[in-house]
Formats: sequence, C-alpha cells, structure tokens
Amino acid sequence: MNITEILFWFLTALAILSALMVVFSRNPVHSVLWLILVFFAISGHYIMLNAQFLAIVNLIVYAGAIMVLFLFVIMLMNMNSDSEPQKNKWLKMAGTVAGGSLLLILVAALKNSEVQYQKVEGAQGTIGLIHNLGKTLFTDYVVPFEISSVLFLSAMVGAVVIGKKD
Amino acid sequence: MGPASMIVLIIAAVVFSLIAIFASKFVLKATRNKQKGEPYECGVPTQGKTWVRFNVGYYLFALIFLIFDVELIFLYPWAVAVKQVGWIALVEIIIFFFILFIGLLYAHKKGALKWT
Amino acid sequence: MNVIILSAILGVIMMYTGVMSKNKSTARYVATAGILALIGANWLEFAGVNFFNIDTRGMLEFTSFGLVFNLIILVCTLVYFLLSGKDLEEVGANAADYFALIFFILTGIAIVSAFKTMLMLFIGIEIISIPLYILAGSDKKNLRSNEAALKYFLMGSFSTGLMLMGIALLYGATGTFYTDGMYLGLGNITVMKMAGLVLLMISLGFKVSAVPFHFWTPDVYDGSPTVFTSFMATIVKAAFFIAFLLLFENAFGRMHSEWQFAMALITAATLIIGNITAVFQQSVKRMLAYSSIAQAGFMLLAIFALNNIGKQGLILYTAAYSLPTIGIFAVLMRMKDYTYEGFNGFAKHQPLLAALLAVFLFSLAGIPLTGGFFAKYYMLVAAMKNGAMFWLVIIGVCCAAISVYYYFRIIQAMYFREGADPGIQVSEGFKTVLVLTAVLVIILGVHPDWLLHLLDN
Repeated sequence: MNITEILFWFLTALAILSALMVVFSRNPVHSVLWLILVFFAISGHYIMLNAQFLAIVNLIVYAGAIMVLFLFVIMLMNMNSDSEPQKNKWLKMAGTVAGGSLLLILVAALKNSEVQYQKVEGAQGTIGLIHNLGKTLFTDYVVPFEISSVLFLSAMVGAVVIGKKD
Repeated sequence: MGPASMIVLIIAAVVFSLIAIFASKFVLKATRNKQKGEPYECGVPTQGKTWVRFNVGYYLFALIFLIFDVELIFLYPWAVAVKQVGWIALVEIIIFFFILFIGLLYAHKKGALKWT
Repeated sequence: MNVIILSAILGVIMMYTGVMSKNKSTARYVATAGILALIGANWLEFAGVNFFNIDTRGMLEFTSFGLVFNLIILVCTLVYFLLSGKDLEEVGANAADYFALIFFILTGIAIVSAFKTMLMLFIGIEIISIPLYILAGSDKKNLRSNEAALKYFLMGSFSTGLMLMGIALLYGATGTFYTDGMYLGLGNITVMKMAGLVLLMISLGFKVSAVPFHFWTPDVYDGSPTVFTSFMATIVKAAFFIAFLLLFENAFGRMHSEWQFAMALITAATLIIGNITAVFQQSVKRMLAYSSIAQAGFMLLAIFALNNIGKQGLILYTAAYSLPTIGIFAVLMRMKDYTYEGFNGFAKHQPLLAALLAVFLFSLAGIPLTGGFFAKYYMLVAAMKNGAMFWLVIIGVCCAAISVYYYFRIIQAMYFREGADPGIQVSEGFKTVLVLTAVLVIILGVHPDWLLHLLDN
C-alpha cells in the first residue's frame, strides 16, 4: 500500500462514517457538523482525482455557504429534542427497505458492468485542473454558462419574493 | 505523488496546529473556573441558552449570499484561463456579471437588503 | 435563440417594472406587450430571421418542431395573460415579479424545445422548475400554498437529483453530453447506460406527473393559487413533455425496443389511475389536477410510439389541452365554490360562459369537432402505427370513455341542475378572449392541418 492508497481508504472511511453519523445524530446541529466533515472528506477525494476545481467548489459552496443555510434553517425552526417529531415506525422501516433494495439492485447490476474494467484516471487526468476547466468553460461551454446566469437571476427574484416581508 | 502530497500537507497542517494546542496544555498550569467558561470573560453575563430562534430576516441575506457565492466560484477558472482565451473571455465574464449586477440592483431597489 | 434571449430580457424588464411603477396594472400591460413581441420574434425566427448569431457549438438546434411548439406555448401564455392576468395581480404584492418569473420559465421552455446536450436539458429544466416552486408558494399567508410549495420543492429537487445522477452515469458510459452521442450500437447497451436511462425516465416521469410518480400533483395543484395551477398544469406540463420526447428521440431513439415496454407500463398506469381517480373527486380543481394526469397519459403515448404522427399529435395535444384548461381555470378562479355543486344552474345565470365552458370540456373529453378529438386521435393512431403492444391502444380508448363521465358532470351541473347565482362578474374583454379561445379550439377540431402544415417548413 502506498501513501495514495492509504489516503484513499482513510478518506473513504471518514466519509462513510461521518455520513452515517449525519443520519444517526439526534441533534440536528450535530448532523450538520458531521455533514461538513463528509464534504471535507469528499473534497479530499476530488483532490486525489486531480479535480481541483470540484474540490474548491465543494468546500466554498457546500461546506461553506450551504451549510450556513442549513444551520440557519435549524436555528429558525427552534428545534430541540422535545419538539422533535416522532417518526412513524413503519415509515422508517419502509424507507430502509426501499433504500436497501435500490442499493442491492444497483450493486448487483453494476458489479458486472463495464465500470469494473475501466480504471479510474486518478491523478493522471488533467481535465479537472482549474486551468483546463476554465479554458473549456469559456470557449466550448459559453452558452450554458451565460444561460446559467438567468437561473441565478430567477433564484434571486424567488429569494426576494419569498423571503421579503410584504 | 502529485495530489497526494497536497493531502499530506493538509494533514501535516492539522497535526501541527494540534501539537501547538496540546503543547500549551503541558506547559501551562491549567485553571478552570466558571468565569473562564463564559463566552465573554468580561462584560455582561449571557442569559438563557445560546440556541435561540433566529430572525427570518437573516435567511434572505444568506440566500443572496449563496447566489453570489456560486457566481464567485466562476471567477477562479476565469482568472486562470483569461490570458489564454483572450479578450472574448473578458466580454463573457462582463456579460455574466452584468446580468448578476442587475439582480443585485433589483434586490436593493426592492428593499430586500434593508434590515427592518 | 430569439425567444431564449428576448424572454430573458423581458424577465429583467418585468423585474424592474415592479420596482419603477407603483401602478399595479402596468406590469400586466407590459407583460402582454412582451409576449406579443416574443410571438413576433418566434415567427421571425421561423421565417429565418435571427437577431442573434451565436455559436452554440451544436448545443441548441432550432428545428421547425421546436419552433412551432414554442409558438403554441407563447400563444397559450398570451391567452393566459389576457384571461388570468388580473387574478395574478391579486395574489400577494409582487405581481410584476410573478410575470418576471413566468418570462424566465419561457426562457427555460425555449431551451428544452431545442436542446441537443444533456447540459442544456438540465439548465432548461432547472430554469423552468425553480420559478415554479416560488409561484406555487406565492400566496405566503395561505398554509396550503406553503405546503404545496414545500412539497413541490422537496420532491422536485429530489427528482432533479435523480436526473443529474442519470446524466452522470450516461456521461460515464459514453463520455459525451451530446444526445447524438448516446448511442453505442444495439446489443452494446451496458448496465451503466441502462441505469442512466431509467433514472432519466423516472425524473422526467416525475416532472410530467406520470404514474407512479404522480403523488405530488394533486396536492401541489390543489394547494397553489389557482392562477398558477392553471399555468403549471398546461404550459409547463407541455414543456416537460417536449423535453421528454426530444431526449428519448434523440438520445435513446435507436434503442427504442429496450425501453418501450417500461414506457408502455408507465403510460398504461397513468391512463388508468389518472382517469379512475378523477372520477371520485368532489372539487373541480382537484378533478382538473387528476385530469391533467390522465391527459399526461395520452401525451405519453407519443413518447411510447416515437414516430412522426406522435410528434404531430404532441403539438396538437399541447394546443388542444392547454387552451381549454386555461379557459376552464380562468372561469373557475372567479367561482367561490370549487365543488361540482358550485356549478349548479350556471347556465341559467351565465349562458355564454356556460356554453364556452361546455366547448372546453368537450375538447378535454375528446368529442369530435373540438381540438381534443384530433389530439387524442393522433395519439392513438401513433400508438397503433407503432405496431407493438396493441393493448395500450385499447386502454387508451377505454380511458377516453371514462374521462367523458367526469367532464360531463360539470356540464350536467351547469345545465340540468337548479342553483343560486354564482355571482361572478366578468368584463366584456374577458368574454371576447374566451370566445376567441373557444373558436380556436373548434378550428383545431375541424381543420387541424393548418397547424401541422407549419411543421413541414
């Protein structure tokens, strides 16, 4: 095992464990904090795949901004252990069974698929480097890039319409 | 090694700062009292729990911040690639930011940025 | 491209109209003028005049099919503005912003009617969806509207997540975002690609509220302000269908046989459950929500069949379903009582409106001489031409018969029951527009070719 592999397994274990903790924590604020750890672990994976831009986006937008939003929502709702709604036991069971079935089917289907024989590009790939990404984004993908600003604009209008006091 | 070295660096940074924190534990004589646990050691004592309900007003700001945060992300690849792509990239980013500036101006005119 | 850019600009103009003008009605006039400009721009593009010459690297392709579809959508939006613009102003205090959001949605619709890459599909679908979540919750003081918005948002973003997952898997399998590059050759359909296809089918099925992904539809349509239900159930629904059809035709058309059976099952379930549940509804608004599921079943036949007649049928269906539904909703919005009993004795007090409503209901039920007849006819012929799975056609015919029951319940209440004056007031302009809409529906039913001839350009 070289150092890359050790790091890979470490980050993987960290991601899965913290993801489980997100689900199992009773306190919603703790869930959010664990989720931040998940994002950090996944960013580590991105860096190992040489996808720097994705790693930065993941850290700045997800671990930074979106988590702040999550915390805001939790703070807005004034949650504590007393007011936490009791979930239906059957609903929980049904959710587990449904999620488990999807996992089983996807694993069963994908284990023999072509993925197995294609080696991940790993650190050799250069497409995820910021430089290459920038070049592609501003030459080939200009139109989607500019159109996405319309999406931002509509999100802005939405935020103002919904969030502002009348 | 490439990217792995970057992660090693990150871990080293974390370990280094942890060492700094724990080193102070050994060097200093630890004192613990109630006063020290307060968020503000001097000043008005805090009242009630810290987990109180926030004003909804913050949320609008957080949302608008998020939108601009995502926009900002696009500046990174632009800044790196602008020299190679040339002036057309400049035009593209100006259009992009102009559209978003329109959005900001709108939020301002609507009074969404006013704290009431 | 004309429509995409112009409607985005119009959205911005609407945003600032709300800020600049204190008069509530200004927004409506500007929006109506804007939609007329859009229709003109679309027509010019159809005639070969492009205002903007942008190299999209083949990501967008403006075919006559997409442009005709856009034309219908824009005309429907015009009718919607004229009929329901006033009611739109009544919801909350942000009328101009709602118009702005609607123009942004039109941008998204123009994108999904022309996309050639998965990337554009995703951006288009998002530009349509995000304003919709907001419109669903625009009646902020009303808890049911809040619930509708939250439900729609949670379910909608989940389905968008599935779509992204599907796109990612397809990209992994083929290495391209372009829909033309999705074909690997028959017998070469790998598990990864199939998984991507199924995820896309599920997420788009959700967007068009196909059974079994329809559970959000009645609650969202019922809870949202009726003005926006009218918009969501007609124009937006048709837009998701065009995205569905174009994606499955361009990307997966050559592996049609692989997914046809799954699509047949979805179609059959949508037809049966949509129609049968609609029978048991007591509220007309909720009935229309289920009827939109039922009509979606017929539109799904076009994707099942994936042939030229189906495409023509979808164009026809968009017009023959949207126009009447907008008309019915425009009248329904003015009623106090949304149950069937509310329509008792309607014909006596409002003879003209009752007659027009009857025309619209005939069209939805697919009675000859109205647009709905030819729309359903084209869909069934398309499914029959396809050859495979004849049982689907039989289900379609049976379901069309069932649908007559619940549409005619309104007509029965209007004409054969006694009731108090519903006390609705409509202006002369409203009546004129409604009459013109009805005339359009009848013209579609007598001579649908004039619309379909446009496709040959």
